[in-house]
Formats: sequence, structure tokens, C-alpha cells
Amino acid sequence: MGKKAYWIIIFTTLILNVVMLQLTTRAYLGREFEIVPIYSGVAFVSAIVTIITFLQWRKAEYGDKKSSS
Amino acid sequence: MSKCKKENARFRKESDKEMINLVDNLNQDDDMRFNRRAFLKTAVGASVALGVSTVPFGVRAMMGLEDEDYERVEITKLSDLPKGESMTFKYPDDDDAILVHTVNGDLVAYNSACTHLSCPVFYQKEDDVLLCPCHSGYFDVKNGHPIEGPPQRELPLIEIKVENDTVYAVGRKYRHG
Ligand code: FES
Repeated sequence: MGKKAYWIIIFTTLILNVVMLQLTTRAYLGREFEIVPIYSGVAFVSAIVTIITFLQWRKAEYGDKKSSS
Repeated sequence: MSKCKKENARFRKESDKEMINLVDNLNQDDDMRFNRRAFLKTAVGASVALGVSTVPFGVRAMMGLEDEDYERVEITKLSDLPKGESMTFKYPDDDDAILVHTVNGDLVAYNSACTHLSCPVFYQKEDDVLLCPCHSGYFDVKNGHPIEGPPQRELPLIEIKVENDTVYAVGRKYRHG
């Protein structure tokens, strides 16, 4: 995967997490307890995707550097 | 020849100095901090922090906070509250609430903390609406839903019962209508 793809994934998850936090707090304050875990689950999974993507990106970014120098 | 050597030496010295200047970059700290990689790392940190911060809400919601039991509490005598009047009370426990006898003769009650930033709402009998004076938020007195201004959610509805001229609060609904 190209490095650009990592950037796109990371920023997509960032946007998704902003939206999910907003929806979660709104549902929580509105006492819609059935949907709160869904939103927070999506946010959590998206955070994990971010971490995995970041690790991949780091490998690509610094791995390249080492091999080229 | 010796002159040339001397010049060369001077040149080398100057260029060395310039190299030192380059290495001694005064903005080195900023360069390290505000670059493309640091930007991406900050984005990753922010995304993870936002994602993880939703977890406590999910956990608390799953622990079943929704099963609240409400007691039956006497609010007032109906005859003490003529049409077009309102009164405040506490329900449940210490939550502020407002009981309204509308100009049409309906009896409704809501928690009175505005769903925008928790200012108390008042009944405006001239327009038959609930008004939050803080940022001019308006709620429909019939169902507690916001009709104008910043509030986005409805006011929690207090379920009431009238028995023998006495008004009781018996429950609360957050999402309704
Ligand atoms: S607090 Fe009620 S409108 Fe802002």
C-alpha cells in the first residue's frame, strides 16, 4: 500500500472518531442507551485501525529510510 | 603558490563556518516538531484519544443505567395551579422540574434544565411556549421539543397523574414524542 493510502486512512478514522464522539455523547445524554455501545464500538474499532495503520506507515516510512541510507 | 594556499585555507575556514551555521540551525527544534511526520503522529494520537474516550460512555450504557425506578411524588393541588400558571418542583430527587397548566387547560411537566447549557426554562403564557432566556431557546409546551434557538434535544418529560385534585409525578422519559 502506498504511503498516501496510510495518510488517507488515518485522516478518515480521525474524522470518523470526531463524529462518533459527538454521536456517542448525544445518545448518552439523550439516554438512548441501546445505541451508545454501537457508536462507541465503531469509534474503538476505528482507533485500533488507526494504530495498525500508523504502525504500517512507520514501517514504510522509516524502513525505507534505513534501506536507502 | 603560498598565497593560493592561504586563500584556500581561508575559504575552507569560511565554508566550515557556514557548515557550522547550517548544523547549528536555530530553528532546529521547530523543524523537528512541526514537520510532516510529527503532523501525522499528532493526527494518530488525536484519533486514538477520541476513539478511546467514547469507551466509558459505552460501558456505562451497557451497565444498564436505563433501568431507573421512579417514585411517585406529590407535586401540588390542581386547584392551586390555575390555567396559564406554572410552578417549579424537584423530580426525581434534586433535578429541577416545571409543572405547567397551559392556557388550553393541559397539564404537562418537564425537567426544566435547558438541553443546551442547562439554564432553567420558564413558561411564557402569552405565547404558550417554554422559554430559555440564556440563549433564547424555545420549547413546545405540548411535547417539550425544541422549536427555536440552540437546543437540539427535547426536555425530559415528567409523567404525571392527577388523583383527587392532587398532581403526582410518577416517572420520567428522556426521549419521547
Ligand atoms: S442554555 Fe438554554 S438556550 Fe442555551
